[in-house]
Amino acid sequence: MTRLRKEQIVGLLMVLPALLLLAIFFLYPLANSFYMSFHKWPLFGKPKWVGLDNYIFMFQDERFWESLKFTFVYTLTVTPMLFIVAMGTALLCNAKAWGTTFFRSVYFLPVVMSFATASYVWLWLYSEMYGVIIFALEFFGFGGSDKDLNVWKTGTSSMWAVNAMVTWKFSGIQMIILIAGLQTIRDDYYEASKLMGASRWQTIWNVTLPLLRPSIALALILSIAGSIQAYEQFVIMTRGGPSNSTKTLVMHTVDMGFDYFKLGPAASLGVIIMIILFVLTVIQLRLFRKNY
Amino acid sequence: MKRYSSDWYWFYVINYSLVIIIIFPIYWTFISSIKKPAELITSDPTFFPRSATSEYYDRILNYGIRDSIVVNNDDKDLKNNPDEEGVTVDRNYQYADKGNIKRAFINSSIVSAGTILFTIVVCTLGGYALTVLKTPFKNILFLLIILPILIPGISLIIPLYKLMRELGLTDSHLGLIFLHTTGMLPLGIFMMKNAFGSIPISLREVAMLEGSSELRIIISVMLPLTIPGLLTVMVFAMYVSWNDYLLAFLFINSPENIMLNIALQKIALGGSQFEMKWGDLTAGSVVSFIPIIIIYAFLQKYFVRGVTGSAVKE
Repeated sequence: MTRLRKEQIVGLLMVLPALLLLAIFFLYPLANSFYMSFHKWPLFGKPKWVGLDNYIFMFQDERFWESLKFTFVYTLTVTPMLFIVAMGTALLCNAKAWGTTFFRSVYFLPVVMSFATASYVWLWLYSEMYGVIIFALEFFGFGGSDKDLNVWKTGTSSMWAVNAMVTWKFSGIQMIILIAGLQTIRDDYYEASKLMGASRWQTIWNVTLPLLRPSIALALILSIAGSIQAYEQFVIMTRGGPSNSTKTLVMHTVDMGFDYFKLGPAASLGVIIMIILFVLTVIQLRLFRKNY
Repeated sequence: MKRYSSDWYWFYVINYSLVIIIIFPIYWTFISSIKKPAELITSDPTFFPRSATSEYYDRILNYGIRDSIVVNNDDKDLKNNPDEEGVTVDRNYQYADKGNIKRAFINSSIVSAGTILFTIVVCTLGGYALTVLKTPFKNILFLLIILPILIPGISLIIPLYKLMRELGLTDSHLGLIFLHTTGMLPLGIFMMKNAFGSIPISLREVAMLEGSSELRIIISVMLPLTIPGLLTVMVFAMYVSWNDYLLAFLFINSPENIMLNIALQKIALGGSQFEMKWGDLTAGSVVSFIPIIIIYAFLQKYFVRGVTGSAVKE
């Protein structure tokens, strides 16, 4: 056996564990999710081909539209919140000043916590009777004179409460992405802009933001894709309530599959989520490339 | 960015205010977990604890998690009307009184350690083969491995559940380890590929002349030079497995095998507004975030690199 042949075989053997994992736990389920979405899955007996029935069932289901709508509303509200905070902290941390490294590590700190733990922490902060945020809000006059503020009372207030938690938890990642982008902008641009007499806001608006476009695109994609996949924060904090008004697409999929055991429609939901995320990513990339 | 000197005052005011806002929930959780019940459950909160107790930690670490409740039953009608496929099944929320946080902590540690170990072995071998060796179809294989970046795993939970059932990997830590390791593949192989790619190929040739085997070369020559990449992959593997909620929720159903994040959910759902659950829950949250915060404190650079590297994937 030649040395080259031997090296090729060794190489294939080394990459084999990765390929096996990929084939079993990714490629097979991927193919199967399409297969399952076109079949009916009784608990016993063989699956039966039903064509598009699962999709039709799912599209006729009001809860699907509700969860889809809620997921989009959540995405559209949380993305700007995350982005504004991330942009602000990124600009702050990009200053050449004492302490920026420290500030940066603190702003990133909540990211390392799990979404689940962050949700439990904030559940306590929002506790109706003893939550410190509730005390603070009541102090500022929310909840009326009887002080019976409960953020979980309506779907809208629940969503904003969760949004605040997510912004606290997640803006650190976007901040780091934006800082990485800011660091690629050379000082010459700022100096030129200063020489031309631009104010600080003019500089940010006309120099920083346009040059930062690729990082902004990445941060937004991250936020949008992440929000479409939202699960833990709502399962833990609102449990989808009140009356299912904060149920996300993924929660709906999990309910479909594991509460009602409708595997076919649940699989088709998975396919829909996959397509939504895929399309969004492509649109976002296009959008931001065009003007760049 | 250049700033104007008169602004330094505001620069620090804003930054320190933000620091306080960011740290506060963590600080508050911590002090809540050591306040005595009378001080904790009150409408007159104290920002510096006047009392200290370890009773919540004692309880969650040593006794079972009380379990009174369940589910959001908004869909009651649907549950009582068996659908066309003829079954209604209640998700298994109820755990016996066996699981406790100590057990859950150990379980989560096992899964995290396993994921880290599997990930570095698989990704080191794969990254090495795809970079240093003349493996056939290198580029196609690499593209295949990073394909999951485009398709989030969350859309595959239904077929995955079926697969795990068929493989007998439900309610098993090994099953979770496999899933987390697979999730780590794109970033892990990518990182290790870059790490190996930056090492001069001549090093390997010298070692080969000395008659070392390929594995020997990886372990004693190459790996020491890829420590930053390796640490990034390890830290991120820890982050993914320790913080997972959905997979632990779907695939683990016996109280002995329960994961930390799910055990916390048991505490959160147990008790009522007026009971002691808040003490237990804050203590449980501290137990769950302390390890990862300690790792962050020591390996911050790799943490940031790993998590933002995965940004492309999320």
